[in-house]
Amino acid sequence: MIFREVEDRDLIATARKGDVEAYNLLVSRWEKRVFNYLLRLTGGRREDAQDLSQDVFLKAYQNLAKLDDPAKFAGWLFRIAHNEAYSMLRKKRLDDAEITFDPPTAEASLGSGSRMFPVELSLAVQSALSRLHADQREAVLLKVYQGFKFEEMAEILEIPVSTVKSRLYTALDLLKTALTPAGVR
Amino acid sequence: MSCQAIDVKAYSFGEVTAAERRDAEFHMKSCADCRVELAQLQLVQAALGGLREEEPPRRIAFVSDKVFEPNWRQRFWASGARVGFAGAGLLSVAILVHGFTRPPALTQTAPTPVVAKVSTADVQNQIDEAVAKAVARIEERQNSKVDQLLATTEKKYELERQALAIAFNDNDLLRKQNRQMQIQRAGLVKD
Repeated sequence: MIFREVEDRDLIATARKGDVEAYNLLVSRWEKRVFNYLLRLTGGRREDAQDLSQDVFLKAYQNLAKLDDPAKFAGWLFRIAHNEAYSMLRKKRLDDAEITFDPPTAEASLGSGSRMFPVELSLAVQSALSRLHADQREAVLLKVYQGFKFEEMAEILEIPVSTVKSRLYTALDLLKTALTPAGVR
Repeated sequence: MSCQAIDVKAYSFGEVTAAERRDAEFHMKSCADCRVELAQLQLVQAALGGLREEEPPRRIAFVSDKVFEPNWRQRFWASGARVGFAGAGLLSVAILVHGFTRPPALTQTAPTPVVAKVSTADVQNQIDEAVAKAVARIEERQNSKVDQLLATTEKKYELERQALAIAFNDNDLLRKQNRQMQIQRAGLVKD
């Protein structure tokens, strides 16, 4: 992780001088993480997630000179992604009256007590995530899937650490109910 | 220690201090509820981790385009000039602050009133006196040097004169001896 941070810093420094290839390399390292974060934030809409990813990386490139500490690139990038996603979701909310998340194709739950196949587990997780409030889901995405610390999440979401914990802990309690087998509960 | 004092969720993410981790582990040894809570959290995290990451449908790449490149101002600003400007800015602020907050006593101690009391003639006299003293000192020093030089030269001249006199005397003596020898030789030839 430290090695990667050093390399990212070098790429950022080179990209800041106008080297597009260095920036493309940086994009290739982060695009999958950003795409999946946006994919889950937008309720599984691949086209939206793709468009948003492009907007995020374009905005990041245009504002790269404003990044004070290159070691905080990940948090800074995800703050842009968060802002772009919510900007789009607000716009869509105005257009569509209500945001609806694409539900998984089959309802599944670990609570059934039977052993689940990976596909079923994946569907169960998607289903459980889709039932969370958007703020709670985002807290889970940043913590569980992106591995940010509470302080970093607070910076990305621009909220206090206590609020971050509150959202995450509520989400975990709901997911626990939805995903934990009855025997363990 | 009560269950409320333990943050099992933060513990499950490893976001606790060393002391908090010790306390949590010590508490969970004797608390079945917290152990179950931890087991459930670990199951949930494992289940969430099983969600497959998807590949983006299209790779994102940028081409070198003037529109996307940072302008000269951004490049200049990111090139280290910022530090120079910040330094210059701080220096300017420091000078300004010093200018405004300088103690007023400093401005009042300007020696203008003292200068105003001294007349031009007095100043001229003082200058003349100082110049005269300096000239006298220089003349005295030069005279002393000339005297020393003259004395040395005279002594040298006297020594040379004495050496010449001795040389002449020696020459006369040799000439006389030579003359006597010629006479003696002439006498011997006659005999």
